[in-house]
Amino acid sequence: MRAYRILLGAAVRAELQYRANFLINVIGGICYQGVGLAFIWAVLSQFGTIGGWSLREVAFLYAIRLTAHGLWIVPFGQLISVDEVVRQGEYDRYLVRPANPLVQLITRRIHLTASGDLLGGLLLLAIASTQAPVAWSPGAVAFLLLAVVGGAMVELSLQLAASAMTFRLLSTMSLKFGIDAVFNEVGSYPLKIFGGAARFGLTFVFPLAFVAYLPSTVLLDRTGELAVPAWLAWGSPVVGGVLLTGAYLFWSRQSRHYKSSGH
Amino acid sequence: MQFATVLTYRTDYLLTAVLLLVQVYLLRVVWTAVYADRGVADGITVHTMIAYATLATVQYTLFSPWRFSQIPERVREGKVAMDLLRPVGFCGQMLAAQVGGTAALAPFMVLALPFALLVGGATAPPSAGAAVAYAVSLLLAYAISQLLALLVGMVAFWTVENTGIFMIYRVAAQFLSGALVPLWFMPGPLRVLAQVLPFQATAYTPTATYLGEIHGSGLAVALGVQALWVGLLTALARLVWSRAVHRVVVQGG
Repeated sequence: MRAYRILLGAAVRAELQYRANFLINVIGGICYQGVGLAFIWAVLSQFGTIGGWSLREVAFLYAIRLTAHGLWIVPFGQLISVDEVVRQGEYDRYLVRPANPLVQLITRRIHLTASGDLLGGLLLLAIASTQAPVAWSPGAVAFLLLAVVGGAMVELSLQLAASAMTFRLLSTMSLKFGIDAVFNEVGSYPLKIFGGAARFGLTFVFPLAFVAYLPSTVLLDRTGELAVPAWLAWGSPVVGGVLLTGAYLFWSRQSRHYKSSGH
Repeated sequence: MQFATVLTYRTDYLLTAVLLLVQVYLLRVVWTAVYADRGVADGITVHTMIAYATLATVQYTLFSPWRFSQIPERVREGKVAMDLLRPVGFCGQMLAAQVGGTAALAPFMVLALPFALLVGGATAPPSAGAAVAYAVSLLLAYAISQLLALLVGMVAFWTVENTGIFMIYRVAAQFLSGALVPLWFMPGPLRVLAQVLPFQATAYTPTATYLGEIHGSGLAVALGVQALWVGLLTALARLVWSRAVHRVVVQGG
Protein backbone atom coordinates (compact mmCIF):
# COMPACT_ATOMS: atom_id res chain seq x y z
CA MET A 1 0.00 0.00 0.00
CA ARG A 2 2.81 2.39 0.89
CA ALA A 3 4.57 1.68 -2.41
CA TYR A 4 1.27 2.28 -4.18
CA ARG A 5 0.88 5.70 -2.56
CA ILE A 6 4.37 6.86 -3.45
CA LEU A 7 4.16 5.63 -7.05
CA LEU A 8 0.69 7.07 -7.49
CA GLY A 9 1.90 10.47 -6.34
CA ALA A 10 4.68 10.37 -8.91
CA ALA A 11 2.26 9.39 -11.69
CA VAL A 12 -0.14 12.20 -10.84
CA ARG A 13 2.70 14.75 -10.84
CA ALA A 14 3.87 13.44 -14.21
CA GLU A 15 0.41 13.76 -15.67
CA LEU A 16 -0.03 17.30 -14.39
CA GLN A 17 3.00 18.31 -16.47
CA TYR A 18 0.69 18.55 -19.44
CA ARG A 19 -2.00 20.72 -17.93
CA ALA A 20 -4.04 21.66 -20.99
CA ASN A 21 -4.20 18.04 -21.98
CA PHE A 22 -5.32 17.11 -18.49
CA LEU A 23 -8.34 19.36 -18.72
CA ILE A 24 -9.21 18.18 -22.21
CA ASN A 25 -8.77 14.60 -21.01
CA VAL A 26 -11.36 15.00 -18.32
CA ILE A 27 -13.80 16.61 -20.74
CA GLY A 28 -12.98 13.88 -23.24
CA GLY A 29 -13.73 11.20 -20.70
CA ILE A 30 -17.11 12.69 -19.94
CA CYS A 31 -17.92 13.02 -23.64
CA TYR A 32 -16.91 9.43 -24.31
CA GLN A 33 -19.25 8.10 -21.69
CA GLY A 34 -21.92 10.64 -22.53
CA VAL A 35 -22.29 9.26 -26.03
CA GLY A 36 -23.98 6.13 -24.73
CA LEU A 37 -26.46 8.21 -22.81
CA ALA A 38 -26.99 10.45 -25.82
CA PHE A 39 -27.83 7.36 -27.85
CA ILE A 40 -30.38 6.20 -25.28
CA TRP A 41 -31.82 9.70 -25.00
CA ALA A 42 -32.12 10.07 -28.77
CA VAL A 43 -33.74 6.66 -29.18
CA LEU A 44 -36.09 6.91 -26.20
CA SER A 45 -37.21 10.41 -27.15
CA GLN A 46 -38.47 8.75 -30.33
CA PHE A 47 -39.76 5.52 -28.90
CA GLY A 48 -40.67 6.18 -25.23
CA THR A 49 -39.68 2.89 -23.58
CA ILE A 50 -37.35 -0.03 -24.12
CA GLY A 51 -38.43 -3.36 -22.72
CA GLY A 52 -40.96 -1.44 -20.59
CA TRP A 53 -38.22 0.69 -18.98
CA SER A 54 -38.62 4.46 -19.18
CA LEU A 55 -35.79 6.91 -19.82
CA ARG A 56 -35.53 7.68 -16.08
CA GLU A 57 -35.11 4.03 -15.20
CA VAL A 58 -32.60 3.35 -17.96
CA ALA A 59 -30.67 6.46 -16.89
CA PHE A 60 -30.51 5.09 -13.34
CA LEU A 61 -29.13 1.78 -14.61
CA TYR A 62 -26.71 3.68 -16.82
CA ALA A 63 -25.51 5.76 -13.87
CA ILE A 64 -24.77 2.67 -11.78
CA ARG A 65 -22.77 1.16 -14.64
CA LEU A 66 -20.85 4.36 -15.28
CA THR A 67 -19.98 4.93 -11.63
CA ALA A 68 -18.81 1.33 -11.29
CA HIS A 69 -16.74 1.80 -14.44
CA GLY A 70 -15.13 4.99 -13.12
CA LEU A 71 -14.42 3.35 -9.81
CA TRP A 72 -12.25 0.60 -11.33
CA ILE A 73 -10.70 2.53 -14.17
CA VAL A 74 -9.30 5.40 -12.10
CA PRO A 75 -6.91 3.20 -10.12
CA PHE A 76 -6.43 0.39 -12.67
CA GLY A 77 -6.61 2.19 -16.03
CA GLN A 78 -2.98 1.36 -16.85
CA LEU A 79 -3.92 -2.24 -17.48
CA ILE A 80 -4.55 -0.93 -20.98
CA SER A 81 -0.82 -0.54 -21.57
CA VAL A 82 0.19 -3.97 -20.32
CA ASP A 83 0.82 -5.14 -23.91
CA GLU A 84 3.38 -2.44 -24.50
CA VAL A 85 5.05 -3.03 -21.14
CA VAL A 86 5.42 -6.74 -21.76
CA ARG A 87 6.36 -6.49 -25.46
CA GLN A 88 9.05 -3.89 -24.91
CA GLY A 89 10.47 -5.62 -21.88
CA GLU A 90 9.63 -2.80 -19.47
CA TYR A 91 8.25 -5.51 -17.21
CA ASP A 92 11.87 -6.52 -16.47
CA ARG A 93 12.24 -3.43 -14.34
CA TYR A 94 9.14 -4.20 -12.30
CA LEU A 95 10.49 -7.62 -11.46
CA VAL A 96 13.72 -6.34 -9.98
CA ARG A 97 12.14 -3.62 -7.86
CA PRO A 98 10.90 -4.32 -4.33
CA ALA A 99 7.19 -3.81 -4.99
CA ASN A 100 4.39 -5.88 -6.47
CA PRO A 101 4.76 -5.75 -10.29
CA LEU A 102 1.03 -5.18 -10.67
CA VAL A 103 1.22 -2.14 -8.40
CA GLN A 104 4.11 -0.78 -10.47
CA LEU A 105 2.19 -1.41 -13.67
CA ILE A 106 -0.93 0.43 -12.61
CA THR A 107 1.03 3.42 -11.32
CA ARG A 108 3.25 3.70 -14.40
CA ARG A 109 1.12 6.49 -15.75
CA ILE A 110 -2.28 7.63 -14.75
CA HIS A 111 -4.87 8.60 -17.30
CA LEU A 112 -6.86 11.23 -15.52
CA THR A 113 -9.45 10.96 -18.28
CA ALA A 114 -10.93 8.31 -16.10
CA SER A 115 -11.66 10.70 -13.26
CA GLY A 116 -14.14 12.27 -15.70
CA ASP A 117 -15.92 8.91 -15.90
CA LEU A 118 -16.14 8.74 -12.15
CA LEU A 119 -17.28 12.34 -11.72
CA GLY A 120 -19.78 12.04 -14.55
CA GLY A 121 -21.06 8.78 -13.10
CA LEU A 122 -21.51 10.21 -9.63
CA LEU A 123 -23.26 13.29 -10.97
CA LEU A 124 -25.59 11.25 -13.12
CA LEU A 125 -26.23 8.83 -10.26
CA ALA A 126 -27.18 11.72 -7.99
CA ILE A 127 -29.63 13.08 -10.56
CA ALA A 128 -31.01 9.72 -11.66
CA SER A 129 -31.50 8.60 -8.04
CA THR A 130 -33.91 11.45 -7.39
CA GLN A 131 -35.73 10.93 -10.69
CA ALA A 132 -36.06 7.16 -10.74
CA PRO A 133 -38.93 5.50 -8.89
CA VAL A 134 -36.87 4.03 -6.05
CA ALA A 135 -38.19 3.68 -2.49
CA TRP A 136 -35.14 5.14 -0.72
CA SER A 137 -34.27 3.86 2.74
CA PRO A 138 -30.92 3.52 4.56
CA GLY A 139 -30.88 -0.10 3.45
CA ALA A 140 -31.46 0.84 -0.18
CA VAL A 141 -28.65 3.41 -0.09
CA ALA A 142 -26.29 0.87 1.46
CA PHE A 143 -27.24 -1.69 -1.20
CA LEU A 144 -26.61 0.88 -3.95
CA LEU A 145 -23.12 1.66 -2.60
CA LEU A 146 -22.23 -2.01 -2.24
CA ALA A 147 -23.60 -2.73 -5.70
CA VAL A 148 -21.47 0.00 -7.28
CA VAL A 149 -18.31 -1.30 -5.60
CA GLY A 150 -19.23 -4.87 -6.54
CA GLY A 151 -19.88 -3.79 -10.12
CA ALA A 152 -16.48 -2.14 -10.31
CA MET A 153 -14.90 -5.39 -9.12
CA VAL A 154 -16.77 -7.43 -11.73
CA GLU A 155 -15.52 -5.25 -14.57
CA LEU A 156 -12.01 -5.06 -13.14
CA SER A 157 -11.79 -8.82 -12.79
CA LEU A 158 -12.57 -9.33 -16.47
CA GLN A 159 -10.06 -6.69 -17.54
CA LEU A 160 -7.40 -8.11 -15.23
CA ALA A 161 -7.93 -11.60 -16.59
CA ALA A 162 -7.69 -10.26 -20.15
CA SER A 163 -4.52 -8.37 -19.27
CA ALA A 164 -3.00 -11.52 -17.81
CA MET A 165 -3.28 -13.18 -21.21
CA THR A 166 -0.76 -10.73 -22.60
CA PHE A 167 2.04 -12.84 -21.10
CA ARG A 168 1.22 -15.45 -23.73
CA LEU A 169 -0.55 -13.56 -26.52
CA LEU A 170 1.46 -10.28 -26.41
CA SER A 171 -1.50 -8.41 -27.85
CA THR A 172 -4.72 -8.14 -25.91
CA MET A 173 -5.75 -4.64 -26.92
CA SER A 174 -8.72 -5.80 -28.99
CA LEU A 175 -9.81 -8.17 -26.28
CA LYS A 176 -9.80 -5.37 -23.74
CA PHE A 177 -11.47 -2.93 -26.07
CA GLY A 178 -13.98 -5.66 -26.79
CA ILE A 179 -14.78 -6.21 -23.13
CA ASP A 180 -15.02 -2.47 -22.62
CA ALA A 181 -17.27 -2.08 -25.65
CA VAL A 182 -19.60 -4.83 -24.49
CA PHE A 183 -19.87 -3.23 -21.05
CA ASN A 184 -20.35 0.13 -22.64
CA GLU A 185 -23.04 -0.94 -25.05
CA VAL A 186 -24.90 -3.90 -23.60
CA GLY A 187 -24.34 -2.86 -20.00
CA SER A 188 -26.54 0.18 -20.34
CA TYR A 189 -29.72 -1.68 -21.27
CA PRO A 190 -32.19 -3.70 -19.27
CA LEU A 191 -31.02 -7.18 -20.23
CA LYS A 192 -34.64 -8.24 -20.46
CA ILE A 193 -34.59 -7.16 -24.10
CA PHE A 194 -32.15 -9.92 -25.00
CA GLY A 195 -33.22 -13.46 -25.70
CA GLY A 196 -32.92 -16.22 -23.11
CA ALA A 197 -29.55 -17.54 -24.29
CA ALA A 198 -27.93 -14.09 -24.35
CA ARG A 199 -29.33 -13.32 -20.90
CA PHE A 200 -27.93 -16.54 -19.55
CA GLY A 201 -24.57 -15.83 -21.17
CA LEU A 202 -24.43 -12.29 -19.87
CA THR A 203 -25.12 -13.51 -16.34
CA PHE A 204 -23.06 -16.70 -16.00
CA VAL A 205 -20.43 -16.62 -18.75
CA PHE A 206 -19.72 -12.90 -19.15
CA PRO A 207 -21.06 -11.69 -15.81
CA LEU A 208 -22.15 -8.28 -16.95
CA ALA A 209 -25.62 -8.54 -15.42
CA PHE A 210 -24.15 -8.22 -11.92
CA VAL A 211 -22.76 -4.75 -12.60
CA ALA A 212 -25.92 -2.74 -13.07
CA TYR A 213 -28.89 -4.71 -14.34
CA LEU A 214 -29.43 -7.06 -11.40
CA PRO A 215 -28.82 -4.41 -8.71
CA SER A 216 -31.12 -1.94 -10.42
CA THR A 217 -33.94 -4.47 -10.71
CA VAL A 218 -33.69 -4.78 -6.92
CA LEU A 219 -33.83 -1.02 -6.37
CA LEU A 220 -36.49 -0.39 -9.01
CA ASP A 221 -38.57 -3.26 -7.63
CA ARG A 222 -38.45 -5.11 -10.93
CA THR A 223 -37.03 -8.45 -9.80
CA GLY A 224 -40.26 -9.99 -11.09
CA GLU A 225 -39.00 -9.72 -14.68
CA LEU A 226 -35.84 -11.72 -13.95
CA ALA A 227 -35.25 -15.25 -15.19
CA VAL A 228 -32.92 -15.87 -12.24
CA PRO A 229 -34.06 -16.05 -8.59
CA ALA A 230 -34.28 -12.69 -6.81
CA TRP A 231 -31.69 -13.68 -4.19
CA LEU A 232 -29.07 -13.76 -6.94
CA ALA A 233 -29.85 -10.12 -7.73
CA TRP A 234 -29.56 -9.25 -4.05
CA GLY A 235 -26.27 -11.09 -3.87
CA SER A 236 -24.68 -9.28 -6.82
CA PRO A 237 -22.27 -7.18 -4.67
CA VAL A 238 -20.68 -10.42 -3.38
CA VAL A 239 -20.08 -11.72 -6.91
CA GLY A 240 -17.59 -8.92 -7.59
CA GLY A 241 -15.36 -9.91 -4.67
CA VAL A 242 -15.34 -13.57 -5.69
CA LEU A 243 -14.53 -12.81 -9.33
CA LEU A 244 -11.78 -10.37 -8.48
CA THR A 245 -10.04 -12.91 -6.26
CA GLY A 246 -10.16 -15.42 -9.10
CA ALA A 247 -8.85 -12.90 -11.62
CA TYR A 248 -5.91 -11.97 -9.40
CA LEU A 249 -4.93 -15.61 -8.99
CA PHE A 250 -5.12 -16.00 -12.78
CA TRP A 251 -2.91 -12.93 -13.27
CA SER A 252 -0.32 -14.31 -10.82
CA ARG A 253 -0.21 -17.66 -12.59
CA GLN A 254 0.00 -16.19 -16.09
CA SER A 255 2.73 -13.73 -15.13
CA ARG A 256 5.07 -16.70 -14.67
CA HIS A 257 4.97 -17.09 -18.45
CA TYR A 258 6.62 -13.74 -18.95
CA LYS A 259 9.43 -13.83 -21.50
CA SER A 260 11.55 -10.73 -21.67
CA SER A 261 12.10 -9.24 -25.08
CA GLY A 262 15.74 -8.75 -23.99
CA HIS A 263 17.67 -5.55 -23.49
CA MET B 1 4.40 -0.57 -42.70
CA GLN B 2 1.09 -0.06 -40.96
CA PHE B 3 -0.33 -2.86 -43.13
CA ALA B 4 2.31 -5.19 -41.74
CA THR B 5 1.78 -3.97 -38.17
CA VAL B 6 -1.91 -4.72 -38.29
CA LEU B 7 -1.28 -8.17 -39.75
CA THR B 8 1.45 -9.05 -37.26
CA TYR B 9 -0.85 -9.42 -34.31
CA ARG B 10 -3.29 -11.91 -35.69
CA THR B 11 -5.22 -12.52 -32.51
CA ASP B 12 -6.01 -8.84 -32.35
CA TYR B 13 -7.15 -8.99 -35.91
CA LEU B 14 -9.49 -11.85 -35.24
CA LEU B 15 -10.90 -10.21 -32.15
CA THR B 16 -11.63 -7.04 -34.08
CA ALA B 17 -13.87 -9.11 -36.32
CA VAL B 18 -15.53 -10.90 -33.41
CA LEU B 19 -16.15 -7.59 -31.71
CA LEU B 20 -17.73 -6.29 -34.89
CA LEU B 21 -20.16 -9.19 -34.94
CA VAL B 22 -21.03 -8.67 -31.28
CA GLN B 23 -21.74 -5.01 -31.95
CA VAL B 24 -23.93 -5.76 -34.93
CA TYR B 25 -25.86 -8.33 -32.92
CA LEU B 26 -26.38 -5.85 -30.08
CA LEU B 27 -27.63 -3.14 -32.35
CA ARG B 28 -30.12 -5.55 -33.86
CA VAL B 29 -31.41 -6.53 -30.43
CA VAL B 30 -31.65 -2.94 -29.25
CA TRP B 31 -33.45 -1.73 -32.35
CA THR B 32 -35.79 -4.71 -32.33
CA ALA B 33 -36.59 -4.00 -28.68
CA VAL B 34 -37.31 -0.31 -29.13
CA TYR B 35 -39.45 -0.97 -32.17
CA ALA B 36 -41.33 -3.64 -30.19
CA ASP B 37 -44.47 -4.35 -32.21
CA ARG B 38 -44.41 -1.10 -34.06
CA GLY B 39 -42.98 -2.20 -37.41
CA VAL B 40 -42.66 1.32 -38.78
CA ALA B 41 -41.50 4.55 -37.12
CA ASP B 42 -41.19 7.83 -39.00
CA GLY B 43 -41.53 5.89 -42.23
CA ILE B 44 -38.55 3.68 -41.40
CA THR B 45 -39.20 -0.02 -41.02
CA VAL B 46 -37.37 -2.06 -38.44
CA HIS B 47 -35.67 -3.98 -41.28
CA THR B 48 -34.32 -0.82 -42.86
CA MET B 49 -33.09 0.30 -39.46
CA ILE B 50 -31.28 -2.97 -38.76
CA ALA B 51 -29.74 -2.91 -42.24
CA TYR B 52 -28.60 0.65 -41.55
CA ALA B 53 -27.04 -0.29 -38.21
CA THR B 54 -25.27 -3.31 -39.69
CA LEU B 55 -23.79 -1.44 -42.62
CA ALA B 56 -22.81 1.63 -40.59
CA THR B 57 -21.03 -0.53 -38.00
CA VAL B 58 -19.06 -2.48 -40.60
CA GLN B 59 -18.00 0.73 -42.33
CA TYR B 60 -17.11 2.38 -39.07
CA THR B 61 -14.88 -0.51 -37.99
CA LEU B 62 -13.15 -0.50 -41.35
CA PHE B 63 -12.46 3.23 -41.25
CA SER B 64 -11.38 3.06 -37.58
CA PRO B 65 -10.73 6.78 -37.65
CA TRP B 66 -9.08 6.92 -34.25
CA ARG B 67 -6.84 3.88 -34.26
CA PHE B 68 -4.49 4.40 -37.11
CA SER B 69 -3.05 7.86 -36.60
CA GLN B 70 0.52 7.45 -35.39
CA ILE B 71 1.26 11.13 -35.14
CA PRO B 72 0.84 11.57 -31.36
CA GLU B 73 3.09 8.62 -30.60
CA ARG B 74 5.72 9.72 -33.11
CA VAL B 75 5.75 13.25 -31.73
CA ARG B 76 5.90 12.10 -28.12
CA GLU B 77 8.78 9.74 -28.77
CA GLY B 78 10.67 12.01 -31.12
CA LYS B 79 10.38 9.64 -34.09
CA VAL B 80 8.94 12.53 -36.05
CA ALA B 81 12.52 13.68 -36.64
CA MET B 82 13.12 10.66 -38.87
CA ASP B 83 9.85 11.22 -40.71
CA LEU B 84 10.86 14.75 -41.57
CA LEU B 85 14.12 13.55 -43.09
CA ARG B 86 12.40 11.20 -45.51
CA PRO B 87 11.92 12.34 -49.10
CA VAL B 88 8.12 11.99 -48.97
CA GLY B 89 5.97 14.70 -47.36
CA PHE B 90 4.97 14.03 -43.76
CA CYS B 91 1.22 14.23 -44.42
CA GLY B 92 1.64 11.82 -47.30
CA GLN B 93 3.47 9.34 -45.09
CA MET B 94 0.84 9.48 -42.40
CA LEU B 95 -2.06 9.14 -44.83
CA ALA B 96 -0.30 6.22 -46.51
CA ALA B 97 0.05 4.55 -43.13
CA GLN B 98 -3.64 5.06 -42.42
CA VAL B 99 -4.61 3.63 -45.79
CA GLY B 100 -2.29 0.69 -45.12
CA GLY B 101 -4.12 0.00 -41.88
CA THR B 102 -7.45 0.00 -43.66
CA ALA B 103 -6.11 -2.17 -46.49
CA ALA B 104 -5.01 -4.82 -44.01
CA LEU B 105 -8.41 -4.79 -42.39
CA ALA B 106 -10.37 -4.79 -45.65
CA PRO B 107 -10.06 -8.47 -46.70
CA PHE B 108 -11.07 -9.47 -43.23
CA MET B 109 -14.09 -7.23 -43.40
CA VAL B 110 -15.09 -8.90 -46.63
CA LEU B 111 -14.92 -12.23 -44.80
CA ALA B 112 -16.81 -10.87 -41.80
CA LEU B 113 -19.50 -9.24 -43.90
CA PRO B 114 -21.65 -12.33 -44.57
CA PHE B 115 -21.64 -13.11 -40.86
CA ALA B 116 -22.50 -9.53 -40.04
CA LEU B 117 -25.40 -9.73 -42.43
CA LEU B 118 -26.46 -12.96 -40.80
CA VAL B 119 -26.48 -11.68 -37.21
CA GLY B 120 -27.71 -8.27 -38.29
CA GLY B 121 -29.80 -7.95 -41.37
CA ALA B 122 -29.55 -6.53 -44.83
CA THR B 123 -31.48 -5.43 -47.82
CA ALA B 124 -30.11 -5.07 -51.31
CA PRO B 125 -29.85 -1.50 -52.58
CA PRO B 126 -33.19 -0.58 -54.15
CA SER B 127 -31.67 0.19 -57.55
CA ALA B 128 -28.43 -0.12 -59.50
CA GLY B 129 -28.17 3.67 -59.30
CA ALA B 130 -28.20 3.52 -55.52
CA ALA B 131 -25.39 0.94 -55.58
CA VAL B 132 -23.21 3.13 -57.81
CA ALA B 133 -23.98 6.22 -55.75
CA TYR B 134 -23.11 4.24 -52.64
CA ALA B 135 -19.68 3.32 -54.02
CA VAL B 136 -18.92 6.95 -54.84
CA SER B 137 -20.24 8.17 -51.52
CA LEU B 138 -18.27 5.54 -49.61
CA LEU B 139 -15.04 6.59 -51.27
CA LEU B 140 -15.65 10.23 -50.39
CA ALA B 141 -16.60 9.22 -46.85
CA TYR B 142 -13.32 7.37 -46.51
CA ALA B 143 -11.35 10.37 -47.73
CA ILE B 144 -13.11 12.63 -45.23
CA SER B 145 -12.59 10.28 -42.29
CA GLN B 146 -8.87 9.93 -43.05
CA LEU B 147 -8.38 13.67 -43.48
CA LEU B 148 -10.10 14.25 -40.16
CA ALA B 149 -7.87 11.67 -38.47
CA LEU B 150 -4.83 13.38 -39.93
CA LEU B 151 -5.97 16.79 -38.72
CA VAL B 152 -6.73 15.56 -35.24
CA GLY B 153 -3.40 13.76 -35.11
CA MET B 154 -1.58 16.97 -36.00
CA VAL B 155 -2.92 18.65 -32.89
CA ALA B 156 -0.14 16.67 -31.18
CA PHE B 157 2.36 19.19 -32.54
CA TRP B 158 0.88 21.79 -30.22
CA THR B 159 -0.19 19.79 -27.19
CA VAL B 160 2.38 16.92 -27.33
CA GLU B 161 -0.08 14.80 -25.40
CA ASN B 162 -3.41 14.49 -27.08
CA THR B 163 -5.28 11.49 -25.78
CA GLY B 164 -8.07 13.81 -24.68
CA ILE B 165 -8.52 15.41 -28.06
CA PHE B 166 -8.64 11.98 -29.63
CA MET B 167 -11.28 10.94 -27.19
CA ILE B 168 -13.50 13.93 -27.92
CA TYR B 169 -12.93 13.46 -31.62
CA ARG B 170 -13.80 9.78 -31.44
CA VAL B 171 -17.05 10.46 -29.66
CA ALA B 172 -18.02 13.31 -31.93
CA ALA B 173 -17.10 11.27 -34.97
CA GLN B 174 -19.06 8.27 -33.81
CA PHE B 175 -22.20 10.01 -32.68
CA LEU B 176 -22.47 12.93 -35.08
CA SER B 177 -21.57 10.71 -38.03
CA GLY B 178 -24.84 8.90 -37.55
CA ALA B 179 -23.00 5.61 -37.04
CA LEU B 180 -25.11 4.98 -33.94
CA VAL B 181 -28.35 6.84 -34.50
CA PRO B 182 -29.23 7.79 -38.07
CA LEU B 183 -29.81 11.49 -38.56
CA TRP B 184 -33.51 10.93 -39.21
CA PHE B 185 -34.03 9.77 -35.60
CA MET B 186 -32.02 12.55 -33.96
CA PRO B 187 -33.94 15.15 -31.96
CA GLY B 188 -34.23 18.49 -33.80
CA PRO B 189 -31.29 20.61 -32.54
CA LEU B 190 -28.93 17.64 -32.60
CA ARG B 191 -29.84 16.89 -36.19
CA VAL B 192 -29.08 20.46 -37.22
CA LEU B 193 -25.71 20.25 -35.48
CA ALA B 194 -24.95 16.94 -37.19
CA GLN B 195 -25.87 18.37 -40.58
CA VAL B 196 -23.49 21.32 -40.44
CA LEU B 197 -20.50 19.23 -39.30
CA PRO B 198 -18.39 17.01 -41.57
CA PHE B 199 -18.91 13.80 -39.58
CA GLN B 200 -22.27 12.88 -41.09
CA ALA B 201 -20.54 12.68 -44.45
CA THR B 202 -18.40 9.80 -43.14
CA ALA B 203 -21.15 7.35 -42.18
CA TYR B 204 -24.69 8.61 -42.55
CA THR B 205 -24.44 9.76 -46.16
CA PRO B 206 -23.11 6.52 -47.68
CA THR B 207 -25.35 4.29 -45.57
CA ALA B 208 -28.53 6.23 -46.24
CA THR B 209 -27.57 6.34 -49.92
CA TYR B 210 -27.20 2.57 -50.01
CA LEU B 211 -30.66 2.13 -48.51
CA GLY B 212 -32.18 4.56 -50.97
CA GLU B 213 -33.19 6.96 -48.18
CA ILE B 214 -31.18 9.63 -49.97
CA HIS B 215 -32.06 9.75 -53.65
CA GLY B 216 -32.85 12.09 -56.55
CA SER B 217 -31.80 15.70 -56.04
CA GLY B 218 -31.07 15.00 -52.37
CA LEU B 219 -28.38 12.61 -53.51
CA ALA B 220 -26.68 15.21 -55.70
CA VAL B 221 -26.63 17.61 -52.76
CA ALA B 222 -25.28 14.96 -50.38
CA LEU B 223 -22.47 13.98 -52.75
CA GLY B 224 -21.72 17.65 -53.36
CA VAL B 225 -21.46 18.26 -49.64
CA GLN B 226 -19.07 15.32 -49.32
CA ALA B 227 -16.88 16.60 -52.14
CA LEU B 228 -16.91 20.05 -50.58
CA TRP B 229 -15.69 18.61 -47.28
CA VAL B 230 -12.88 16.72 -49.00
CA GLY B 231 -11.73 20.00 -50.58
CA LEU B 232 -12.09 22.03 -47.40
CA LEU B 233 -10.35 19.51 -45.20
CA THR B 234 -7.49 19.06 -47.65
CA ALA B 235 -6.94 22.81 -47.65
CA LEU B 236 -7.16 22.88 -43.88
CA ALA B 237 -4.68 20.01 -43.53
CA ARG B 238 -2.20 21.87 -45.74
CA LEU B 239 -2.61 25.04 -43.69
CA VAL B 240 -2.26 23.24 -40.37
CA TRP B 241 0.80 21.35 -41.61
CA SER B 242 2.51 24.51 -42.82
CA ARG B 243 2.17 25.87 -39.30
CA ALA B 244 2.86 22.62 -37.49
CA VAL B 245 6.22 22.19 -39.18
CA HIS B 246 7.46 25.28 -37.37
CA ARG B 247 6.25 23.93 -34.08
CA VAL B 248 8.04 20.62 -34.16
CA VAL B 249 9.59 19.85 -30.83
CA VAL B 250 11.75 16.77 -31.07
CA GLN B 251 11.87 14.91 -27.81
CA GLY B 252 15.12 13.05 -27.28
CA GLY B 253 16.90 11.13 -30.04
